[in-house]
Amino acid sequence: MDRDEPDMNTALMVDGNAVAGQLEQIFGRDMTMTIARCAGCARDAQLGALMAFIRGPGVVLRCPACQNAIARIVETPSAIYLEARGAAYLRMTPQG
Amino acid sequence: MVQPVLEWQAGRVTAIRPETRQTKSFTFALPKWMAHRPGQHYDVRLTAPDGYQTQRSYSIASPPERLREIELTVERIPDGEVSPYLHDVLMQGDELEVRGPIGGYFVWDVRLGGPLLLVGGGSGVVPLMAMLRHRAAQHSTVPTRMLYSSRSAEDVIYHDELDGMAAASDGFEAFYTFTRQPPAGWTGYRRRIDAAMLAEVIKPFDKRARVYVCGPTLLVEAVANALVEMELPIEQIRTERFGPTGV
Repeated sequence: MDRDEPDMNTALMVDGNAVAGQLEQIFGRDMTMTIARCAGCARDAQLGALMAFIRGPGVVLRCPACQNAIARIVETPSAIYLEARGAAYLRMTPQG
Repeated sequence: MVQPVLEWQAGRVTAIRPETRQTKSFTFALPKWMAHRPGQHYDVRLTAPDGYQTQRSYSIASPPERLREIELTVERIPDGEVSPYLHDVLMQGDELEVRGPIGGYFVWDVRLGGPLLLVGGGSGVVPLMAMLRHRAAQHSTVPTRMLYSSRSAEDVIYHDELDGMAAASDGFEAFYTFTRQPPAGWTGYRRRIDAAMLAEVIKPFDKRARVYVCGPTLLVEAVANALVEMELPIEQIRTERFGPTGV
């Protein structure tokens, strides 16, 4: 009945690695090793290691420590929305 | 080094091989093939006549030493959107939209060394198999153990190949556990992977082990939590959860 029942959510969770293709499409590079600092708890985590919920209309990436929503991605036929208020910053190594 | 833009390409099916009752391996010849890192995946996209699109990610089973083609092993999820099409409709010679290789997180190659513990549940063994095939192709002797959970012996993917690898005496050992129906006379593990089982398998490697865990989310959760309890450094643990399909 209750779709937010915790066990159900846990069972549906995957890793940020599962949306690596979508992230690479947006950023033009592999993002799974990029560090996100959680704006909620200040813990650092690789994007590939975030908790990912991908079965909704969009993607939600959450902090594995405090479950704060780090980022949301929604694709429409004409645009991609990336909301990342839950990240204090992203840290990636320069390319090239 | 700037990496090439990730783009969709048409992969042509050159072989389809049943692995178990629920899994098949599909070989795709790729016009824009590039070497992957073992553990990476490809996205597969289907487009309906009305334009509706849906996509899924599937781990690469083949090693990067296999040139110009990739092999994906796919479990048929009965109510799935993509896997029933791949299993029931796709035929040799057909083309399918794929993009990859993708992901730098859940990867291992021989340069990373070991000792290596691979923990798989069900079709979670697929990316681990790419690592093992790569290890074999490189004649690596990195100490490696695999703990593989299946419902029954018939559900073990790559069973013969894994046993062959283990018989090569090059530092690889395979441990199986059966959660529903162990084979007759089986004296090994017959339960879900738990902390005690992990402790036994990881023992010779202790806290030096690099661990890759892939399987249904709840199995990966249980294994990752047990490893953290054992005080294995968290940066040595890599996980890949593939959602709710149970083992």
